[in-house]
Amino acid sequence: MTQAVAATTASAHGAGGFTFFGLFSDPKYTTLERGALLAVLAIAVIGLLYAWMLAVQVKAADQGTKRMQDIAAAVREGADAYLAAQFRRILPLIFIITAILYFTTQSDIAAFKFGRAGAFAVGATFSWLVGFVGMRLATIGNLRVAAAATRSYGEAMQLGYRTGTVTGMLTDGLGLLGGTLIFIAYGEQAYEALLGFGFGGTLLALFMRVGGGIYTKAADVGADLVGKIEKNIPEDDPRNAATIADNVGDNVGDCAGMAADIFESYEVTIVAAMILGLATFGHKGVIFPLLVRGIGVLGSIISTYTVKAGANDTSDTALKSVHNGFWIGSFISVTGFIVLGWYYLRFDAAYLTTNPMAVAGFPNGDPTQLPAWASFGIANADMRPVITCFIGVVLAIALNKVTSYYTHTTHTPVKSMAKACQTGHATNIIQGFAVGYESTVATVVVIAVAILLSFLCYAGTPPLFVAYGVAMTGIGMLTLTGNTISMDVFGPVADNANGIGEMGYDAQAMEAKEKGSYKRARQILSDLDAVGNTTKAETKGIAIGSAVIAAVSLFASFIAVIAVGSEDKISEMTTAQYLAEAGKLTVAHPMVFIGFLIGGAVPFLFSSMLIRAVGRAAFLIVKECREQFRDKEIWAGTKKPNYGRVVDICTSAAQHELIGPGFLAILTPVAVGFLLGTQALGGFLAGMILTGQLLAVFMANAGGAWDNAKKFIEDGNYGGKGSEAHKAAVTGDTVGDPLKDTAGPAVNPLIKVMNMVSLLALGVVIKYNIITGTGNRWIGFVVALVCVAAIGWSVWQSKRESKELQEMEKQFQN
Amino acid sequence: MRKRLLHPLNHKAKMKNYLYLSLNPEALIASHLPPEEFGAYLAVGTQKLSRGQALFFEIDPSFQSDFLPTKDIATRNLAHRDGSPRRSTYLAIYRVLEHVPLTAIGKLHLATHDGRVLSLAAAKTPPSGDRCFHLYQEFCPVCVRVVSTLDPAEFCARLTDPTQPVSVPKIAFSELTLGALATDLESQAVGNLPYTGLPHLRDCLRELNRKPGKPTKVAIRNVRDDVIYRTIEGGFYVGHGHNLQYYPMPSLSELEATHHEWWKSAQSAFGG
Repeated sequence: MTQAVAATTASAHGAGGFTFFGLFSDPKYTTLERGALLAVLAIAVIGLLYAWMLAVQVKAADQGTKRMQDIAAAVREGADAYLAAQFRRILPLIFIITAILYFTTQSDIAAFKFGRAGAFAVGATFSWLVGFVGMRLATIGNLRVAAAATRSYGEAMQLGYRTGTVTGMLTDGLGLLGGTLIFIAYGEQAYEALLGFGFGGTLLALFMRVGGGIYTKAADVGADLVGKIEKNIPEDDPRNAATIADNVGDNVGDCAGMAADIFESYEVTIVAAMILGLATFGHKGVIFPLLVRGIGVLGSIISTYTVKAGANDTSDTALKSVHNGFWIGSFISVTGFIVLGWYYLRFDAAYLTTNPMAVAGFPNGDPTQLPAWASFGIANADMRPVITCFIGVVLAIALNKVTSYYTHTTHTPVKSMAKACQTGHATNIIQGFAVGYESTVATVVVIAVAILLSFLCYAGTPPLFVAYGVAMTGIGMLTLTGNTISMDVFGPVADNANGIGEMGYDAQAMEAKEKGSYKRARQILSDLDAVGNTTKAETKGIAIGSAVIAAVSLFASFIAVIAVGSEDKISEMTTAQYLAEAGKLTVAHPMVFIGFLIGGAVPFLFSSMLIRAVGRAAFLIVKECREQFRDKEIWAGTKKPNYGRVVDICTSAAQHELIGPGFLAILTPVAVGFLLGTQALGGFLAGMILTGQLLAVFMANAGGAWDNAKKFIEDGNYGGKGSEAHKAAVTGDTVGDPLKDTAGPAVNPLIKVMNMVSLLALGVVIKYNIITGTGNRWIGFVVALVCVAAIGWSVWQSKRESKELQEMEKQFQN
Repeated sequence: MRKRLLHPLNHKAKMKNYLYLSLNPEALIASHLPPEEFGAYLAVGTQKLSRGQALFFEIDPSFQSDFLPTKDIATRNLAHRDGSPRRSTYLAIYRVLEHVPLTAIGKLHLATHDGRVLSLAAAKTPPSGDRCFHLYQEFCPVCVRVVSTLDPAEFCARLTDPTQPVSVPKIAFSELTLGALATDLESQAVGNLPYTGLPHLRDCLRELNRKPGKPTKVAIRNVRDDVIYRTIEGGFYVGHGHNLQYYPMPSLSELEATHHEWWKSAQSAFGG
């Protein structure tokens, strides 16, 4: 059946012709719906304007002394240099992939070719823009926060949070703008363009995550090894040449990387929901998620503006204000969903006549037969999308709580690790593994329960309706993306502000001006840093959870496309077709099992490449810092170290290391698909989603827990600072650092990139794979061979040093 | 706060002789470096850039002793041929403290691992507290850690009393915090005490409690680790008999506000 349908794929797009902005002339859409779409577009623009307004506020704030400005400028220059270098490295790849996407589109119509390739380029640009602007603002905001801390807690806190909100609203605005514009332009034929858009964002996020993760940890580990361990000098000591790179790393990892990652989840979930919505409930299924996102943006605007702190507030009250903002946003969003659903999700006979695919979604094809919990007792209403969105909001909160439980100092897991430090380094590591492993189970249970509840909402309906429910859970989960990113970016902004305070405050001048002012300002920055660490940790659970939910939704699309042979025929698919194809994905089938094993192994190889990359780069930084410390004047503090050289080493190493993991992510699904067939590719995706999510959660939570176990001891437990337990805790933190900040976060985009690549390549895989391909199988064989060779080369490359690094090595030796 | 190592030529015009009494190890050292630079030199060296804590007293340069070779300091401690200052000339490495009178002992300087120096001036009156138990770290001439029911003045008098079975002529020591254990032996609020062998320390205190006639008990015979500055309770002491010189440690708020760089350096032990 698959082969027969695949033959029709090429001509399918063009069957009915295509006109841009067809929905404005399509009688299926009501004036209200067109108006609503334009309103969503307007909300996206409002979100962007709100971000611009906050950016202006942040930029207008006091910039402190010249010494502080110099330090902030060094961090900003380093961050800019990194992103510029990364952009130069990625740009050719973006052009190549854009061309590949254009020429491999299974349609002869230029609009679709352009749509897929152009949307990819736009998605990639938006993702880069979110990372770039977010990071730029963070490097501007950190200085203002440090300056504001000399005056008031509330002012500093508000500036830091609003700096983060700029990135959050940019993510919201651009994500919503892209998805809505594509739908307005392509209407019900937006599938390919949406996939391209999602893939663009995802791929850039992967590069941002990988590059940022390597940069930040290489700088951090390098700075710590030389500064704290070898020379016993404090963190952020201006004599350490890696200090500025360390601060730059906080921005490229936690601002640019995380913002691009969440932006990508934001895109992918809307793409999945729109594709599945179209295939199930028709155009209402597409428009509803867009409207939900619009409500989310409004909720974020209102709630982020409420986050404030008083002049003499503390960490607890500041954290409470941030959390209250999240609750307010959740309340606004859920209320908005209900009102919207009640008004919009009416499926009368006329609608079902023009959108017959929706009939299968109701008991006996009749919306009036929906149970009361699903219709809220309203005639012809279907509130299940609202309920699944609500499940998503609860899922986001639950994942926050689970992450908090396993990584926060107030709970048993971290305390147990701190306790284990009393008996040495090894017991701390062992306990950390136990806590990390357990946390993966808790996270899986939470996600599984959310998927189960979404499934129950659509029990008895065809699988695509169930998948739509899961996709709507993803939409609900990322409703408050503005708040989530604000919380995340606030972390590195506060961290950097603390660094600027450490290096840039003139203690004696401040004390001379007002007694106690220096200590007060440092305390404010220290408190904000602690709040930022907490908020940043909480958002990591959402990033991982959203990757899994998006992957599950896309997996349903994947099976559907194989079942009918072409993406534009998904809406015509029967349940029997879907179940027949899904039934073939059994581990009893050797090909599926092989694919499953390979897919399960890829996240491990990927993580290994990244962790090794951090070690290599850190080694070079250590050598450079040692070299600079040999300069007596630098050691004595009378001469400024060459910060730029360490920044260059980090930038160079991070760019070099991008290639291998990038090839692995893009080419492995292609190789598996062509070499082992579509079913093996299905098994590959299943294995990759499973181990990828488990590994990501393990690394993030174990790393976070080790970090906080150290903080718990430093707070005066089990001997406090300087004790043997503290030494064991420092070892645990060092082990956990590359896990939680490099490999763990990068696995999220890996999962989505592999899903996207599989979906985008599925058309040609069906045709040319060497197992069941209907076309020339030699093409598939050659492509697979090239991919395998490129992957092998990447792994080999990841183990050897680049020319630049070898040259640096020689310089050190001479 | 901290003065940096100056370029050698800067010293040429003004080559002043300083005299220091190092406590770890015990030594009398002449130098051209002022205390801040001498502390940095002791802590991190010049070429090897090693690291290590240093505690030393500043001694009156006019001090003369029959036992110690103080007469020819000016001739022994000459500047280098290139005109750079001589960083250290070891005059004696044995029984130094006992032969330096308290009147010649000036400020106490505490150098951190990376060479930041805090200078403490002597105060008249040692602090009095309501602590039942004390923990003392002796620095010179021996490095013993002792628990005691005696206050610092009594402790000094007892340890330097020649009528006791074991005594030293003079002693330099500091009191370390016992936290809640100072008043309650069974207290569980000992989380912030960074000492190894905490159960043994508690056992030692219990023994003192059980035996009222026993005022001191050795907890660790020979302490090899550096002192963690945050554990200093009250300050440092040097003395013999009832002559006790007290060097109060600044309060936490003063350390944070006025001596911030030293305090941060002092706290950054092993990656903290």
